[in-house]
Order: sequence, then structure tokens, then C-alpha cells
Amino acid sequence: MALRSLDLPGVGTKYEFETDKGDTVAIFFTKTGGIQMYTLQKGCKTPSAAEMSPVEARRLGNILTGAIIEADQESVEIAFSALADLRITIHTFFVTAAVVGKTIEELQIRAKTGATVIAVCRHDRNIINPPPTFVFEQGDAALVIGESDQIKTFESEIMVK
Amino acid sequence: MEGFIIALFVCMVLALISKYLSVPAIPFYILAGVILGKAGLGIVSSNEITHFFSEMGLIFLLFFMGLELKLERIIADPSKVLVSGLIGLTVDMGIGFISAYLLGFTLMESFIIGAAFYITSTAIVITSLVENRKLMMRETETIIWLMVFEDMVLIIILALLSSGNQNLILFFAKIALALGFMYVIAHYGKEFLISILDRDDELPILFTFAAVLSTASFALFLGIPETLMVIALGAALATTDPDAFEQHARPFKDVFLVLFFVFFGVTIDFSGNLNWTIIAIVCLLAIFSKLVSGMLIGLTIHGSAMSGVEIWTNTISRGEFSIALAVLYGSPLVGATIATMVIVTSIVGSFAAKYSTWMRRGIVSHSRKRALIHRPHTGR
Repeated sequence: MALRSLDLPGVGTKYEFETDKGDTVAIFFTKTGGIQMYTLQKGCKTPSAAEMSPVEARRLGNILTGAIIEADQESVEIAFSALADLRITIHTFFVTAAVVGKTIEELQIRAKTGATVIAVCRHDRNIINPPPTFVFEQGDAALVIGESDQIKTFESEIMVK
Repeated sequence: MEGFIIALFVCMVLALISKYLSVPAIPFYILAGVILGKAGLGIVSSNEITHFFSEMGLIFLLFFMGLELKLERIIADPSKVLVSGLIGLTVDMGIGFISAYLLGFTLMESFIIGAAFYITSTAIVITSLVENRKLMMRETETIIWLMVFEDMVLIIILALLSSGNQNLILFFAKIALALGFMYVIAHYGKEFLISILDRDDELPILFTFAAVLSTASFALFLGIPETLMVIALGAALATTDPDAFEQHARPFKDVFLVLFFVFFGVTIDFSGNLNWTIIAIVCLLAIFSKLVSGMLIGLTIHGSAMSGVEIWTNTISRGEFSIALAVLYGSPLVGATIATMVIVTSIVGSFAAKYSTWMRRGIVSHSRKRALIHRPHTGR
């Protein structure tokens, strides 16, 4: 698989690669801000195309990297291969009745699970790095970061359904 | 002033319609100008203010062209650009120039028409490639490099036309001096320029506007063409942070360029001794000559006539640069001819580009059928 990238004046940047089975995939980041993806089956002449907004493209990227996408709760795993294959998972949770009205400190999230709440989305506003005194409310969505085992513990111990 | 507001309002409505139908807006702007202006209802007339705005449009168009000009990349791999570019130049400019001359235009007029006839509209072509989702075609790269080559030819044409009857040595010495000055600023002031562009107050946009305008007026003061100097400014600034400059210059370009098209339309006069047969012939030839050059390029670069058809359908549209030439150097007669050519080719071109896949399929299935008739047993 050889990845080829090319800067096309006036159009944008092109990334193209051929899979081992001979199909071709090409991605264009256009100057107008859109992203176009083309796939060309081996032996075919005309490619098929899809145009995406940056948000949609990121979603597609998440799916392709193998992250689990559940309806609205998604998780992304990032692997840093240079750092002894460090794998970090970021997961979103909708708060359950078990935590509503409690603070992060009371729940002893870090002590019990090792995972960290790095952001909470409340009424379409984001609270980044909530303090230990932060109180969860009904309808909050929490973004939790940690290794995948820690995330699993978090799900079973803290966010009890 | 009322005329000016009416023109702006009409343009906004037209822009909405053209975006909705996803066809290029340039021919509509010119048509709006023609209808509102001298040749039509006579509601809008050009005056000093509109003239200033049109000039701004032209200057920002050329500044943008300079920003996109990546000389070092062309020098790095010239063969790609040169072969197809030279075919296009000789075929299209040749057909345009000779036919204009034979149709009774003077030598100078024929040269302007030939140049306007040759230069396709980068804006229309690229937008239609993106919108019709043709970026992956192998011909697309050829077409894009063709556009880059045309831009360079345009610069040479502008230099030739604007040198006029001046002392050539002095003229080019002045240009070289101005160019050197700009590159020195872009090179040694790079850090400073980038620090200005990174700010999030009004400074970056103010700086961009001032840089373009002061370059243009400085060029006028030196007696060298401002058109060339703003292109050079764009190319020099492209070595710092072209994306930031594009972002800050875009609002000016978008507004002023629309006015440029409209007021070009306004000044068009169809009442003179115009011969519509001649104009129609020029329009038809403009479509035909791109078929010839497209075919030749398709056969030489891709070895396929079908690629030639694809290149043809995507390069029919003439637009902003043809009009720029008409505005700068055209007589009223030439202006009217080029205006009609741009309107016709850009509308035909946008439909050809949209339905080229059907056309290709049509040709392929037709030739397959024919092959079957000729050799019925080798078929299935």
C-alpha cells in the first residue's frame, strides 16, 4: 500500500492509495473546506464519490480506526506507537441516576477506577477539566479518558445503570 | 448611487439562483450588467465610483492568481505542465488569433481576442471539477496543470501588452527593481508578516488590503503596469503564509469581482456596427478549438481520445481572465465580442462538464454497437 499525496493548485490536497487487492481510494481536502472521498474498484473505470463536511469526515475516520460507535455514546482509542505502544481511550457517557447530585470527589472516580473525567457537556456547553467539587446533574454527558480497562471499570463501578 | 445599489441587489439574487442551479454565476453577472446598462434598460451607468470598484475587483483577482502561483513547483517538474500547455497555447491562441484576423479585426484586436479566446476560466473549471466530483479522474491533474500554464501565459501577455511603446530596457529594469524589492521584503520580513497575520484583530485584513492597494498605486507612480505588480506581490507573499492571505483577501475579492463583472456588462454597447454573424462564429470556434486542443492533449498525455473529450468538456468555459483582457486593452467592439463569447462558452461549458460522463458513455456504447455490426462473431 503506497500512499501518495499531492498538492493541486487551486483545488486542495489529494491523498491516494491503492489497496493490496487493487482497489483505489482517494481523498481530497478541497480549498472550499469540504472533503471528497472517491473509491475505485479494481477494473472499473468510473469511481464513486461522497462529499463530507469535516465533522462527517471525522466520524468516518473514527469508524475506520475501529473505535466503537454506539448510538450517541462513542469512544475513540488513540495509539501512540512511539511511546511503547501507549493506548488511550476516550469515552463519552450519559450520567446515570447513580451519580446525579454527587461530586467527582465523593464518587472517588480516580481512586476507584484510575480514569479521569476531562470534560462535561451540559446544555450544549462544555465544562473542560471539571474540579473535584463538580456536581453531576441529570442530562450531563461526561467525557472520560483512560486505558480501556480503566474505562470498563468506570462503566461498571461508577456509571451504574 | 441608486444604480449601484440596484446592481448589487440584482447580483445577490442572481448569485442565489446560480448557486441553487449549481451553474457558474459569472455569465449571469455580465448579463445583469448588460441588461441594466447601456445596451439594455439604461438604469445603471458607470461613473468614477463604479470604475474604482471594478478596478479593485481586477486587482484582487490578479493578487489571488499570484498567491496561487507556485513557481517552484512548476520548475521542479516542468514536463507535466509544458507539453499540454504548449499544445493548448498554439492551438487555441492560433485558432482565435487567425480567425479574428480573417473576420476583419485589426492585428492588435485579433491578438486580444486570441488571448481572451485561449484563456479558460480557472474559477469556473475548478469549481465544476469539485462540484461534479471529478477530482479523481486522471484527466483532472492535466486540466489543473493546464490552468497553471495559462496563468503564466497571461502574465507574459500582460507584460507584452503593457510595455507598449516605452523604452523597453528602462521598463524591464523598473519591473525587476520592484520585483526585487518585494521579494526582499517577503524574505527578510517573513517573521514579521506572519506575526501580523496571526493576530485576531482587524490588523491582518487591514494589512492585506493596504499591501495590495499600495503596491498598485506604487506601480502607477513608477509607470509600470499595476496588474503585473499585484500578481508579483501575490507570488512574493505566497512564500510566507498564502492561506492566511487568501483568507483575508477573499472578502474584498468576492465583492469587488462581482462588481467588476457587472460594470463590465454595463459598459458593453451592442448598438454600434456590430456584426452578430462574426460574434456567433467566434463563439462557435471558441467551443470547437477547445475540442481540437483537448483531443490533442488527451491523445499525447493519456493516449486516449476519450480523455480528450473529458478535457474538452471541462475547459470550454472562458471567464474572468478573458474579461480582464477586454477591460484592460479591448475596444468597445472587442469588448462586446468577448462578453458574448464568455457568456456563451461559460453556459455551454458548465453543462458540458456536468453531462460529460453521459457523453462518454454514449460514445462508448455507440462505438461498441458499431464494432458488433462490423464483426458480429467476435461479439458475444
